[in-house]
Amino acid sequence: MQKYERLEKIGEGTYGTVFKAKNKETQEIVALKRVRLDDDDEGVPSSALREVCLLKELPHKNIVRLHDVLHSEKKLTLVFEHCDQDLKKYFDSLNGEIDPDVVQSFMFQLLRGLSFCHSNNILHRDLKPQNLLINKNGELKLADFGLARAFGIPVRCYSAEVVTLWYRPPDVLFGAKLYTTSIDMWSAGCIFAELANAGRPLFPGSDVDDQLKRIFKLLGTPTEDTWPNMSKLPEYKAFPIYHPATSFSQVVPKLNPKGRDLLQKLLVCNPQGRLSADEAMLHSYFQDLPAHIGNM
Amino acid sequence: MAGKFWSSSQFQQWILDRQDLLRERHGDLQILSEEEYHKVMIFFANFIQSLGEQLKVKQQVIATATVYFKRFYVRNSFKCVDPLLLAPTCIFLASKVEEFGVISNSRLISTCQAVVKNKYSHVYTAEFPYRINHVLECEFYLLEVMDCCLVLYHAYRPLVQYVADIGQENDLLSTAWKVANDSLRTDVALMYPPHQIAIACLHIACVILQKDYKTWFAELNVDFEKILEITRIILNLYELCKNFDEKKEIPQILQKVPKPKTQPSRPPSQGADGQPPAQPVVQQQQQPQGLQQP
Repeated sequence: MQKYERLEKIGEGTYGTVFKAKNKETQEIVALKRVRLDDDDEGVPSSALREVCLLKELPHKNIVRLHDVLHSEKKLTLVFEHCDQDLKKYFDSLNGEIDPDVVQSFMFQLLRGLSFCHSNNILHRDLKPQNLLINKNGELKLADFGLARAFGIPVRCYSAEVVTLWYRPPDVLFGAKLYTTSIDMWSAGCIFAELANAGRPLFPGSDVDDQLKRIFKLLGTPTEDTWPNMSKLPEYKAFPIYHPATSFSQVVPKLNPKGRDLLQKLLVCNPQGRLSADEAMLHSYFQDLPAHIGNM
Repeated sequence: MAGKFWSSSQFQQWILDRQDLLRERHGDLQILSEEEYHKVMIFFANFIQSLGEQLKVKQQVIATATVYFKRFYVRNSFKCVDPLLLAPTCIFLASKVEEFGVISNSRLISTCQAVVKNKYSHVYTAEFPYRINHVLECEFYLLEVMDCCLVLYHAYRPLVQYVADIGQENDLLSTAWKVANDSLRTDVALMYPPHQIAIACLHIACVILQKDYKTWFAELNVDFEKILEITRIILNLYELCKNFDEKKEIPQILQKVPKPKTQPSRPPSQGADGQPPAQPVVQQQQQPQGLQQP
């Protein structure tokens, strides 16, 4: 541990404390994620192993880099590249105003990171602003893969409690056990709307019922026509038929029409109807994306 | 974990050639002949298989654990960690990585005790001497030695795809699958990409079943030199096993295997939770003498 000088506590991750630290030789600033080894059964926690596995196999500019894994007695420390802040803190600093170009850039980078994960058969499953790191150069990186997992084929029965409620798609809220990449695309849609509104969450539900109600009030309650076999989901329950009363131009007033179109194609209740990350990156909303972001 | 083999840590860091293997094993090969070394590895691959079957984990977990075990001793002498401790540690870690779940402490240790007692009493006359804290400590060393490269690609998945492509009935798959299991008793998983191993296994299965798929093989875009190398290594294993009297030979060979200086001196209590060991069971890594890192 002598190699790094600990500076300050950044936060608590899924399985341990995160510190900002400095590499004493190179002066490089890094994030140290200390893995707690509880005295229970598990040894090195599965969630930490998962994160290590994925990051070791997935070098990508929109995915946080794992520099090193340090071992000391009874402790495992993951050394990550340090990012100045996460999207949630970034929102807090905005005072309700955000540059539309920043929205576009962040959304594109989020989709690019997801596209890479998905093409490598990895679901993130826990996307939320706290898990998106942002550095001084305006680069966005996916982090905290503690809940992510590789999916092979066939895909069956992953553990139920995975996504923070606000970013959880209706199929998961209805207890769907068959997760696909579409789970992340819903979350990406929610984050897109939150970006466009400078940090106001789109569906801040308080429980599963409230969460679904908020979704259906905006999008209209799905039916067997729009979403075949919905009622067969394990925790399905009937909701009143809401008809969308607010238009997307009221929901995300500052987002341009192309952006609204993209948002609507992500926020589709039927998981099969959601755009994939690759499709979303080709959407006309990104037509005028500055070349330096496309190549960043 | 599915993904892309060519960008994987397995391909980038863990495909070794024969010279690498001989150099890394140099220390142990001063004491054991190459054949004896392989027999130890075969024995522990069998031991891991027995543990895995007793614990009812998938073959994928057993395969991953077996490769972890080999990777560890590619970088270390037997005298660093007792293979009898490393074997269950590999199963414990592989089960988590392959998302099979955490094997409970008490179950792991009691299974080790049962397997040693019921199947390997000809080799180990005493009770299985380790407790869970030894396994958890050893897990750390294993992670470190492997540089946290945990995701493995095995021959099974490409094998299934190839057999589907041939459009063949099940006996080809099941025979080739068994050959793939057997290949874990060789070094091929440390030396060749999984799809090449799969083709070699198919090749051997075809010979066993006397099936002729020459045209299918001919259309493959692979380096047949490599396939033949793998085939030869696996056939050598079968040859070696013909005259391998495990019960008789292994106790003698294990006598010679260098051992960690500190070993648990008394049998553990039956429970999974014991007192922490007075001394670490894992020796500080030592460079085998006479070996300079390039």
